[in-house]
Parts: sequence; C-alpha cells; structure tokens
Amino acid sequence: MGQTDEPEGQRALGVLTMEKFSRIEFLAAIASTHVRDGENVFGGTGLPLLAALLAKETHAPNINLISEAGFIDARPVEVPLSVADTRYYYGSSASIGLIETLGFILQGGRIDVGFLGAAQIDEYGNLNTSYIGTYDNPKVKLPGSGGGNDIASSAKRLIIIMTHDKRKFVKKLDYMTSPGHLQGPGSREEWSFVGGGPEVVITDMCQMDFDPETLRIRLKSVHPGYTAQDVLDNVMFDLIVPDDIPTTPLPTAEQIEIMHRLDPKGIYLGKGNE
Amino acid sequence: MTEPEIEDKRITLAEAAKEVPDGSTLFWGGFGYQRPPIAFSAELARQKKRNLNICTCGSEVDIEIMAGSGVASRFEIAFAAIEALGLSYNMRRRVVEKKIQVEDYSNLAMAMRFLGGALNVPFMPIRSLMATDLERLSRFRDDKKLKVIDCPFTGKKITLVPSLQPDFSIVHVQRIDKSGNAQIDGIVGEDIEGSRCGKKLIVLAEEVIDEKEIRHRPDQTKIPAMYVDHVVITPFGSHPMQVHGYYDYDLEHLMMFHKLTQTEDGWQEYFEHYIMGVEDHFAYLDKVGWDRLMSLRAREPWGY
Repeated sequence: MGQTDEPEGQRALGVLTMEKFSRIEFLAAIASTHVRDGENVFGGTGLPLLAALLAKETHAPNINLISEAGFIDARPVEVPLSVADTRYYYGSSASIGLIETLGFILQGGRIDVGFLGAAQIDEYGNLNTSYIGTYDNPKVKLPGSGGGNDIASSAKRLIIIMTHDKRKFVKKLDYMTSPGHLQGPGSREEWSFVGGGPEVVITDMCQMDFDPETLRIRLKSVHPGYTAQDVLDNVMFDLIVPDDIPTTPLPTAEQIEIMHRLDPKGIYLGKGNE
Repeated sequence: MTEPEIEDKRITLAEAAKEVPDGSTLFWGGFGYQRPPIAFSAELARQKKRNLNICTCGSEVDIEIMAGSGVASRFEIAFAAIEALGLSYNMRRRVVEKKIQVEDYSNLAMAMRFLGGALNVPFMPIRSLMATDLERLSRFRDDKKLKVIDCPFTGKKITLVPSLQPDFSIVHVQRIDKSGNAQIDGIVGEDIEGSRCGKKLIVLAEEVIDEKEIRHRPDQTKIPAMYVDHVVITPFGSHPMQVHGYYDYDLEHLMMFHKLTQTEDGWQEYFEHYIMGVEDHFAYLDKVGWDRLMSLRAREPWGY
C-alpha cells in the first residue's frame, strides 16, 4: 500500500481516518519496527504485545518476549487480556516468578527494550500513570506504576506509546510515576539507573525521539496527513522541530494481515476501525 | 514403624475470615487475572471487616470488592485496574472521596518488600523508584515508605524499601493436601515470597488432594505445609478471573462487573446481589450457575 496524494480537505483529518488502517493497527505497526531481532523484550498486554508479536512474525523472529508475571520466551497462540493470562503463559519456555523477571532479568540489566504507555508525558519523557489532579486532591486515580517504574528505570531502551491528546503532552506532570530523562543530561547517571531511558514516543500523529545533546523531546516523523505544525499545536511543551521531518511509512499489507491473524477475534484490533 | 500424624488444617471460608481482626495487614496473593483470592475478599465483605491494609503488587476484582465494600481503608500496592477493560472505578471513587489511602510502590518494590519480610531482614535494596514522585511523596507511611541512600560499598545511590511482615498472607492455589502442602501450576507472580512473609498463612485451594499425590510431584509444591496455618477448599475461588489448568476467566461476568462499578449505584447493585445477597461462596457459585461455571473449565493442553 503506497501513500496517496489526498485532497486538501481530507489532509487535516490525517491518515488514521482513512479506511485502510485503524489507529491501533498503525501504532502497533510503527512500534514493531523499533524492536530489533534477538532482543529481550518486556511486553505488557495490548498494543505493546501486538507490536512485539508483529516484530517476531516479520523482521525479528528471535526476540525473547518476557512477562513481568514471571515467565520467559512467551509465544502466545491467542492474544491475552492480562500479563498473567494463561493465554500469554502457554507456550513459554520457563515460568519462575516476578522476582525472576523484574529482578534477575530486568534489574540485572538484561532487558533490551520495554514498552510503556502513559496518561501524561513531559519534555524529558518522564511519565505519569498514577494521578490526575494534585497528589493531595486527586481528580482521577489511574492504575499506578505496576512494573512501569521498574521498566523505565532498568530497561536499556524504552518505547512509549500514547494516544495524541494535547492534554497529555505537558510542561509539568501531575505526578511522576516513571523516570524518563528526568531533568536532562547527567540526571539518570546521578541516580545510577540500570537502563538508558526513553528512545522513542509513538503517537497517532507522529513519532518523537530525544535530542542527544539536551535529551529533550524532538519531532522525528509525522504520520501521513499531518504536519509539524499539527504536532506543535497539540503539545503543551517546547517541542524541538528539526528542519527536515520525514513522513512515517505506512504499514504494509503484510503487517496488517499478520496482525489480524494474531488477533482474529479483534480483542485488541477491534471489529473494524476505531 | 510408627506412622507420622497428619494434621488436618482445613477450615471453612467463614471460619478463616473470622480469624482476621479489623485493622489487620494482609499480603494478598494472585497476579493480574491469575489466581486472585476473590472468594476471600467477598467473605471479608460479608463479615463486614473494616480498616484492613492490603499489600500486593496488583490486584483487580478483589481490590475493587475490598475498596467498594469498605473492608480495606489502606492499600500498599503498585497497580489497580482491570487490565484490558479499564480503570478500577471503586478504587478511583474511594480515593477521590478520601475513604481510601493508597501508598504507591512499583511491582518489584512490593515483591522485594515481601522477600525481605520472608527473609526476616528489615529492608531490601532495589534500583527503582528513585528520582520520581514514588520516592518523593507518601500517603501514610511518611518517612517509613522508603529511603534513597548512598550505598556504603559503592557510594552510588540505591533505594531501600522496608520489608513487610503482615499479620496474614492470603494465597489461592490449584491443589493442596489437608496438612497444607500447596501446589501452584502456571504463573507464580510474587506468591512464593508473599506466602512466607505473613505472621499467619491462609491458603485457599481449588481442590484437596491426597498427600501421596503431593509426594509424587514435590517439585510442584510451591508452599510447603510447614508455613501453612489454615487450608480452605474453595472451588472456583477466583471466579470471574482464572486459575491455570482449572478454568478460564468469565469475560461476560467480568465485563458486567466492570460496567456496574462505573457508578456507585451500579456497584451497590452488584454488591447486594452477588456478595451480600448470598450466604456463602457456594451460594455465589449457585447464583452464577453451574452450567456457566462448567463451560469455563480449562482444556488441555492450553490450561484455559
């Protein structure tokens, strides 16, 4: 599937309103490209798992998919609802316990890449999955860290997946659950973190990475149908925008087909477009 | 040769819950959708327990029952949600109403706190939590939540989390003999450490088996009888969640539960119908219906 020139009126809507892909399919396809063959991958359920499984079926057949619930080299036949779903466990090569996977493996420095989502992110890639509102008077209690803080602290690389809502891309987090690049250069080193921090942020509008000098968030590519200005209008922090912004490649027909083979009941992908 | 005497530690669910005084601190077993002691949370609610402090990595339907019913007023946890479905609405409402206080940790931090308690040492070092609000902010443990120190050996920063030795550990497993040798299949989570850290251990199990079967496969015994104070046989004790090799989650019931908890009225409707409106766990199973329960039975070789 190639990119097509679209009439101006549709451009502002973005590619994700097209019929060919759903938002989930697009995000999972992009996320899968950041997983490299042979890596040890921490995959939660939902989008990260779909992305990891897609990578395994395409360019990265030798990844080792690990669940924080304590099992290793997962090869689920059906997509699971929970990190501790028997669907995720069946077919794995070892099942030991949480301290094995979050302790020996993750804190031991053996996880190459982890995935996280968040309700808020700041310009250094620090994440909030705990509270909206103030800590003393929270408006919303979110799920909390789970293994997120551990993964953000100790995975060598972190891939962040978020829906693009301006209110989520904030100057100051309501609560910092998981460490990104903290306050910038030298911050993570000061605390002796095992892992390297976030590498890429994937949204339904763009991909962002981190400027190596300042460790501040930077526009990496915009998805077809969006411009750099669209992204700037939809973040509340100072986004670094380089001169040349490439367009994110579209998912291939093969990727879409594989995703639907992995999730035939549409547990993650839904029945149709979102 | 004299035969060793085998103690029968079996008691009823109601008797086990009666053992737990108001204000107790509990390790709570299970992980995500797997082996949560939901029957025990419902019985605590029926007995109108109050002011419990629940300590676990994460928990879903059972946390919602204990948050919604007022059984627990404090949680030391890493995670509360119904994975794949959405937020824990009861927890969310009670936190905003300030009826519940949550002390936030990460999964590894909680597991290490249980390990420290089981090892009988006062704290454990970990390399998480640092430099975030998990380190900076505390709801009720204050300066006893954690400490970041300069390591006395390397000089580098390290987090110390306080060990936990709760009054009770509550764990749900697949099989057990009457003396308490408990076998877990599949996903273990933090139940090895959690079962050893409590001052008393109550193990719920899907079924009781003969000691001979335990001794035939001792490697499957994840909790030896020497740790166990009480055994409670509770078939379908994790419904509507799953128990590997025994039954799958009941997605229809789970979605109904999650939808009802979106409002206080909806939660009260569920609470009255499925928890307070039944005499005990078996009456709950009757209400759910045995045809439905049997349709959830796990199939070989998948275990779900």
